[in-house]
Amino acid sequence: MSCMRKILLVEDEELLRDSYVLILSTEAYDVDSATNGQEALDKCQDKVYDLILLDLMMPIVDGVAFLEQYQPNPHTKIVILSNLSAGTELDKAMRLGAHNSVLKATLSPRQLLSTVRYELQAA
Amino acid sequence: MPKHTVKTPVRLLPKTTQSELERYKLLVDSVEDYAIFLLDPNGYIQTWNKGAQKNKGYTAADIIGKHFSTFYLERDVEAKKPERELELAKRLGRVEDEDWRLRKDGSKFWANVVITALHDKTGALVGFAKVTRDLTERKQHEDALRAANIQLQQQQRELEELNVSKDEFISLASHQLRTPATAIKQLLGILMEGFKGEVAPDQLALIAKAYESNERQINTVNNLLRVAHVDSGKLILRKTPVEVRRLLTGIIEGQTDTFKARHQTVSLDVSASLPDTLMLDNENFRMALENLLDNASKYTGRGGAITLAAERKNAEAIIAIHDNGVGIASEDMNKLFNKFSRIPNVLSQSVGGSGLGLYWVHKVISLHGGRIEVESEVDKGTIFRVCVPVNELYA
Repeated sequence: MSCMRKILLVEDEELLRDSYVLILSTEAYDVDSATNGQEALDKCQDKVYDLILLDLMMPIVDGVAFLEQYQPNPHTKIVILSNLSAGTELDKAMRLGAHNSVLKATLSPRQLLSTVRYELQAA
Repeated sequence: MPKHTVKTPVRLLPKTTQSELERYKLLVDSVEDYAIFLLDPNGYIQTWNKGAQKNKGYTAADIIGKHFSTFYLERDVEAKKPERELELAKRLGRVEDEDWRLRKDGSKFWANVVITALHDKTGALVGFAKVTRDLTERKQHEDALRAANIQLQQQQRELEELNVSKDEFISLASHQLRTPATAIKQLLGILMEGFKGEVAPDQLALIAKAYESNERQINTVNNLLRVAHVDSGKLILRKTPVEVRRLLTGIIEGQTDTFKARHQTVSLDVSASLPDTLMLDNENFRMALENLLDNASKYTGRGGAITLAAERKNAEAIIAIHDNGVGIASEDMNKLFNKFSRIPNVLSQSVGGSGLGLYWVHKVISLHGGRIEVESEVDKGTIFRVCVPVNELYA
């Protein structure tokens, strides 16, 4: 299904990752997941995503380090999905090219789907 | 030190009479706060006044004829400081120094010393006048002040470091508290919103209660963070022209589900007098109004009516949130905006709250240069009026 929008979810918390994958899979998205920034960088080598949902605090390569090493693709939109409040790390991520940021704790499953739909439409 | 012969006193003021000379001598002799004495051209002490005795501990008999280097610290004598000072006074006419000197008992005192070269009318050097003041007390105060200043700077550095680690701790702690709450929210949300199929109504009710309880925890963390941020003085408003009608409509729409669940009606009444735009920090002002509207809904109960009214009065825009809820007793009015203050009423047991919301709202409205007025009657309802200045340029 080549027309499916491709989403890469980068999240180290297993419970959250599994929940988000389950929620996103209820709509026609091609969803990949990565447990840290390094895995995400590897996946970006093989595939061009429409949307990357990126956590910030992660082991090995965190969100900010991912953005520093990531080769931007005009086709890909990056949305920070973190529980960090506005501050240094979030500011850094936005400066490094993230398009938007959403506080994870505010999103219900339905709101997650609306956010993804909105970001993909706006892409 | 070579024995010194005291020379005949030099006639310093040839035209003065003997009685005038005696009066000068009396003047100098009786000064107690300054050591004033004469040295011969080689630095040997010739005269000694009361102040000198008091200051240095020597009597005239002890010291006259001795070299003035007696008063210098050993290291200064070795470094030939006394000779250098005389040489300088001879060359420049006067030399001033502030340094440690010795008393007869060997104790040190902080001295201000002025040595003035004296010449006779032919210009030949006849000796030196030496005036010494004991400034030990001032020096001690200065040293104490300097030490206190260093200590203060050190404490300030420590406080700044502590503040940075406090901010880091708050940031990390809130992240760690939110993470499991976010997972609970997703998992319960998956069940509640039907992502895993139908759930029996009684089970759904329990899940909804768990979800609500988890929401309270998330809100508490959010409120704590907001309060910590505003209390740190780091909340800087980013004011932009904000379309007020759109803002108010958006706030009501954002809480529609809650109003529906509580069977409450909400109406918006915007007067034509209200400017189209106000200079506001969109995000923080919106959150403040959302908080007030949420409170109105929480404390109004099932079936209540809430109105959001906005108008301009003189130089202020007034946004009023009316409810017909439980109201606030007059004795509780002054506690409303206190930190961690929760007002007891018939709904406060069942309604969750951290007692931080109104505190934060008040701070944010104040930062906007505005104020909040409250009018309330128990069992009749409450009106919160947010009054902010209208900027004519953008109105």
